[in-house]
Amino acid sequence: MECGIIKKPDLEKLITYATEQKKVFYGPVAGEKGVEFKAVTSYEEIALDYDNVKLPPKSIFFPQREVLCRFSGDTLKEVNIEAEDSIIFGIRPCDAAALVYLDKVFKDVKSRFQDPYYLMRREKALIIALACDTPRATCFCTSVGGSPAGKTGSDILATDLGETLIFESCSEKGKVFMDKSGLFKRPADRDIKVKEEKARQVEQSMAEIPTPNIAGLTEKIDKDFEDPFWDAITRNCLGCGACTYLCPTCHCFDITDEENGKKEGIRLRTWDSCQYPLFTLHASGHNPRVNKKQRLRQRIMHKFSYTVANTNDIYCVGCGRCITYCPVNLDIRDMLNTLNKL
Amino acid sequence: MLNPYIPHPVIIEDIVTENDNRDLKTFKLVFDRKEDEFSYEPGQFAEVSIFGKGESPFGIASSPTEKGYLLFTVKRTGSVTEELHNSEKGRKIGVRGPLGNSFPWQRMEGKNIVIVSGGFAFTTLRSAITYILDNREKFGKITAVYGARDPGELLYKELLKEWQEHSSIDLTLAVDQKPESNWSGKVGLVPNVLKEVGPAAENALALVCGPPIMIRYTTPVLLELGFKKEDIILSLENRMKCGIGKCGRCNIGSKYVCLDGPVFTCAELENLPAEY
Repeated sequence: MECGIIKKPDLEKLITYATEQKKVFYGPVAGEKGVEFKAVTSYEEIALDYDNVKLPPKSIFFPQREVLCRFSGDTLKEVNIEAEDSIIFGIRPCDAAALVYLDKVFKDVKSRFQDPYYLMRREKALIIALACDTPRATCFCTSVGGSPAGKTGSDILATDLGETLIFESCSEKGKVFMDKSGLFKRPADRDIKVKEEKARQVEQSMAEIPTPNIAGLTEKIDKDFEDPFWDAITRNCLGCGACTYLCPTCHCFDITDEENGKKEGIRLRTWDSCQYPLFTLHASGHNPRVNKKQRLRQRIMHKFSYTVANTNDIYCVGCGRCITYCPVNLDIRDMLNTLNKL
Repeated sequence: MLNPYIPHPVIIEDIVTENDNRDLKTFKLVFDRKEDEFSYEPGQFAEVSIFGKGESPFGIASSPTEKGYLLFTVKRTGSVTEELHNSEKGRKIGVRGPLGNSFPWQRMEGKNIVIVSGGFAFTTLRSAITYILDNREKFGKITAVYGARDPGELLYKELLKEWQEHSSIDLTLAVDQKPESNWSGKVGLVPNVLKEVGPAAENALALVCGPPIMIRYTTPVLLELGFKKEDIILSLENRMKCGIGKCGRCNIGSKYVCLDGPVFTCAELENLPAEY
């Protein structure tokens, strides 16, 4: 099935079907901290009227804190990394596109090292993205190859048509799911037209939002490495790292051991950030990125130069979180525009 | 799926204190399970793991021709290394590896090899020299310059003595300042001693391991001797966690020291930011 339609309250049937199939159903849930992705068991728990979640859904596959293994004294105890089948419903197209970039990190086809923790969860998940209705003032997905109704990284793309939701398969996995579930009705031609018109309108509405000019940037950004621009821009930066924690493509992590005083403990993986001086500090005291300028530059260069050199990808999906949540209003769009004009 | 984060259990079979300062020890490790034994090439590294303290990356100091064990020479600096230094023979620890690339052995065959090292960065060069001597017919003339602050800080003293008597390697030892004790080697900093030894650049590759300051002053000497940038081979270090190109901290521009390195040519580094 390429396209299917369901009435909104019938999402309940989709959730029930998922539960019967022993799949955990994650959806956007409104709570005290805003909307977050949580496992749900009924339609009532789901919030559909949100622009985007603060914490990117990468945490479903790459949790902020994860036990890699346990130990007792000097003896290792491996943890079970079997993941449950899951359906992630309602993530935005930008965050779905970001998963493709994370896949390239954790399933690095060029190296012999694959990350089983991430991949187990990822391979067992079905991604149903939800096309955007109202882009935020900081959204710029269209500047980095995305779209408010983009399909990259999704198995199925849903669009809110008011009374109903229209679903479009974007992968073989999504197509098979839609066929097997038997919950989706064939949409009328009129519904498909409304969906397409909506996608066009939303994308058009983004023309009013300031966007960065990325064209030609990756070819010239390397030459800007020593430019005084970096000194100037760093003056405001607090080095708090919020931009990296909230970035859907950032994947840096730390590995540390925690022990309970009785020689029992865990080896933990936790999110880390290139914005912190300890990130690169050598045991000798030497630090290759000793100042904030070098660290801010690393963040931008990693996304717009280094990943381009390695896999020809810009590791930015234009979600705008680093702009929305920066405590000193640093705006990556301005930075990119300035860099592109240098 | 193979889990690259899980260390293989190894037993500390022997511990040798290497220097007068007593902060450098060599650990001889044997695999607890025969099937875990891995093959590696000189220049590669591994993560040594002590549960409760963590993991640290170290160059493998043994040669693949030394069968059945691994050697790591470790300076006592942080919590993992402190715990290692306090460990006794027989303790079970962990090793993850081999990681990273190696010295360019295919390119090195048939070439004269110049080895330059300072301080305790000599470890993977111990591996390289041992490997070369065990495959002597594959290489041309071998010239090595190895320096330390004073004689007591040189690693592998027994082995150095053996190599000095060996006719198939020309080894020059150096110390920074003239020591009080008898010293038959050179006195001076590694770059200056290298200049004095003056190995020919023709049909030669240079392997350089040492602290950043030594590398900075050694490279111009090699260039002056006529070595091309692509024939100067450096082994780098950066802070690491995963060692497999995912945790994101050891990058130098678009390259990861753990995956694309630790061995780079001078020519490769010239195109990367100096963040190492």
